[in-house]
Amino acid sequence: MVSEEVLRTHLQELRRGTVVVASLVALRRPDYGYALLQRLAAHGFAVDANTLYPLLRRLEDQGLLTSEWNTEESRPRKFYRTSDDGESVLNRLLDDMTAVRTSVTDLIEGAER
Amino acid sequence: MSSLTDRYVAATMRAVPAQRRLELAEELRGSIADMIDDRTAGGQDHASAEREVLTELGHPEKLAARYSDRTLQLIGPRYYLTWWRLLRLLLTWIPAIVGVLSGVTKALVDGEPGAAIGAAIVAAMQTAVQIAFWVTLVFAVLERTRTPLGLPEWTVDQLPEETRERQINHSDSIASVVFLLATIGLLIGQHFQRWTTDDGTRLPALDPALWSFWLPALIVVLLATVGLEIAKYRSGRWTWPLVAVNAVLNVAFAAPVLWLLATDRLLNPELVERFAWLRDGGTVEFARVAGAVVVLVAIWDVIDSAVKAGRAA
Repeated sequence: MVSEEVLRTHLQELRRGTVVVASLVALRRPDYGYALLQRLAAHGFAVDANTLYPLLRRLEDQGLLTSEWNTEESRPRKFYRTSDDGESVLNRLLDDMTAVRTSVTDLIEGAER
Repeated sequence: MSSLTDRYVAATMRAVPAQRRLELAEELRGSIADMIDDRTAGGQDHASAEREVLTELGHPEKLAARYSDRTLQLIGPRYYLTWWRLLRLLLTWIPAIVGVLSGVTKALVDGEPGAAIGAAIVAAMQTAVQIAFWVTLVFAVLERTRTPLGLPEWTVDQLPEETRERQINHSDSIASVVFLLATIGLLIGQHFQRWTTDDGTRLPALDPALWSFWLPALIVVLLATVGLEIAKYRSGRWTWPLVAVNAVLNVAFAAPVLWLLATDRLLNPELVERFAWLRDGGTVEFARVAGAVVVLVAIWDVIDSAVKAGRAA
């Protein structure tokens, strides 16, 4: 049996890029940091807060997200939304995920033969 | 007193670039408040919820580094191998050269051969520390500025031809060469440094008459041994011809020394005169001990080289 540590590292590696995909999908509907965190968690993406918040800033700097301050609620919150550029990057990423899944499926079926 | 959240936000903001501080601070404060609210809504008290949330967010500087996309390592994988290779290259030669040079300078120019070895060691160590510091500093700056070095890509042509592991490594060879040069320095140095006797006169430890032949001959043997070290390093391992040369050189050094000890010609007679212990038969004892050491070292060295040659063959 492999150690917990090894397993965790591999899972982390596998999940790393999917947080970006999940965020870009989820932010087609504008949302603020913590609400996004909870939505992602509810859909099985357990992201650490200290990973997600800086990631949002980075995606904004890269032009994949746009942001807007909402001051109507109890406290001012910064809402992020997937930009047009973000959308086209997201489509490329989703295509690639599909391609990876297809390849893995092919490989599994090939190995069973 | 400011709240833990205030302190956390302030600590994080200190480590992010100034132009984005205000906005980041407000957003982070909001996010922390959201997280705390979520926990207190579940019945937890505010203070412990705050602690929990801030603990979850982790070290402020680590978080700040993530916000500003900064590295948290002195030298990362991009530069590490270049840094390490350069450092090794520089540390192998420069401290040793500087050490020998400053030792020689101390002995010959300043006329203090006795302080030469100390001066050499200090100079070598200072040089090593300086090299390590400055090289590392330059690479740490490169890492932070992400300057491309423009080094040529690795190619298969760079692979060393050697596939067997080296038996003779770099540092051993250098240590041997430095030791041999230091011994030569000592032979020359003792003539100038001189031994202070009880009555304050200063005398060389070895008989100055030996300079007419024996001491220069021993120095030549030691220099030939330096040549052997270099040949050995280049071949990468002990070979039987090298073992033969090593044996000849060991005999060429040990035999004259033994003969000089046996015939009581090694030590300066004037020095012997001045020490009661040496005068009253101490020279015989000295010859026995020194002779035994010389013989043992020579035998051990020859056997060691032969064993290693046998292993390498």
